[in-house]
Amino acid sequence: MASSGSGYDLSSSTFSPDGRIFQVEYAAKAVENAGSALGLKCRDGVVLCVEKPIPNKMLLPNSSRRIHTVDTHSGVAVTGFVSDGRQVINRAREEAANYFETYGSKIPPTVLADRMGSYVHYFTLHGSLRPFGATSLLASYDPETNDASLHMIEPSGVSHSYFGCAAGKGRQPAKTEMEKLALHKPAAEENITVREGIRQLARMVHAFHDDGKDKP
Amino acid sequence: MSRDSNYDHHISIFSPQGRLYQMEYAFKAASSSSGLTGVAVRGADSCVVVTQKKVPDRLMDPTSVSHVHSITSKIGVLVTGLSADCRAQVQRARYEANDFRFKYGYDIPVHVLAKRIADIAQVYTQSASMRPLATVCLLIGVDDERGPQVFKVDCAGHYLPFYAAASGAKEQEAVNFLEKKVDDMKGYDLDQTVRAAIMCLGTVLGSDFRGNEIEVATVQGTGGKFTVMSVSDIEGHLNAIADDADA
Repeated sequence: MASSGSGYDLSSSTFSPDGRIFQVEYAAKAVENAGSALGLKCRDGVVLCVEKPIPNKMLLPNSSRRIHTVDTHSGVAVTGFVSDGRQVINRAREEAANYFETYGSKIPPTVLADRMGSYVHYFTLHGSLRPFGATSLLASYDPETNDASLHMIEPSGVSHSYFGCAAGKGRQPAKTEMEKLALHKPAAEENITVREGIRQLARMVHAFHDDGKDKP
Repeated sequence: MSRDSNYDHHISIFSPQGRLYQMEYAFKAASSSSGLTGVAVRGADSCVVVTQKKVPDRLMDPTSVSHVHSITSKIGVLVTGLSADCRAQVQRARYEANDFRFKYGYDIPVHVLAKRIADIAQVYTQSASMRPLATVCLLIGVDDERGPQVFKVDCAGHYLPFYAAASGAKEQEAVNFLEKKVDDMKGYDLDQTVRAAIMCLGTVLGSDFRGNEIEVATVQGTGGKFTVMSVSDIEGHLNAIADDADA
């Protein structure tokens, strides 16, 4: 297996002999080393949480936000190359605005997640482009079904809907903790509320945050 | 073989031996990346696609994991391969089907859609800047003139109609199983077609399924709609298969 790339990793439009696209895998690695982003689908909403490393004490505390509004009913937390993430978010904002203009109602979460996935995927197809080194966590509310949902869009363009998801440095410990919360049992009584979700996510981030590794 | 220059491994140009390496690698990605196997069977008046439903992460919402999609209300597809490529393939197929309906005023026949997807796939194998989409599509539908149709479209732009076809990791084993039954299949009704497809998957994967571990979708009868089977109906078929096996 040519697992070190060795020439097949120079562009998105090249498959390796064992059928992998290394550029996409490397883009995912860029996300793995970045500050964590976590999301939880609670019974009455979705919580997004981003670990924001502070590389420089001179930084104004509320600057360089990692969670962005896409529309009145949607927000996205991004991790990885934040500048790449900004592009994805700008596109999501355009998609949401366009949808409203065309159809007269707010873009449903699944449609928005699909569009973001398609956009990110496009950059994995052409040799003249590189994939986005960013994963987006989309929290969105659907007025038709009266339910909120959480989607994660990865650098490969894959997007799924989740009960709980994590990306970045602390994703492994975070996912282990999330599985303990039994979020996949959607019974309303057993599931946690957003208030509780905020505390849980804050607890998780606090547990695995390492001050010594504060790099953006 | 060792005389191949390196460039032909990187972009879609011919090797001195006349091979297109990038296309071959795309096939590898399509069959092995997801680890899933898909089976499609055509009966007397219906067709069926079956695949495993593997949810890779317990935190993932299972309703968002599906490889079976409708293209129009009457044509459905089972796509295997790289997830994001599969999604792009389905989007494009839907666009093409709708564009056809708009331009010509009638629903796109299965074989026309298959040809269109195949032609688009071929273009990617001939351009340097774009890579082929690592997907294999099994299209099903019932044509007004030709009856039930199963088409397999792959990364190279091949498209062929089949009595039964398979794709993915265990494609070869599935095809071996299906070849033994192909003469009987031509007379199968819907239930028999579904069970043949499920049995093929079960034999090839060497395991029994529960209703929520496989996805089944069918189209039956001229003008029939593409329907994804519910878990309870799947379990009905699984029970019938088990009963037959015991009997």
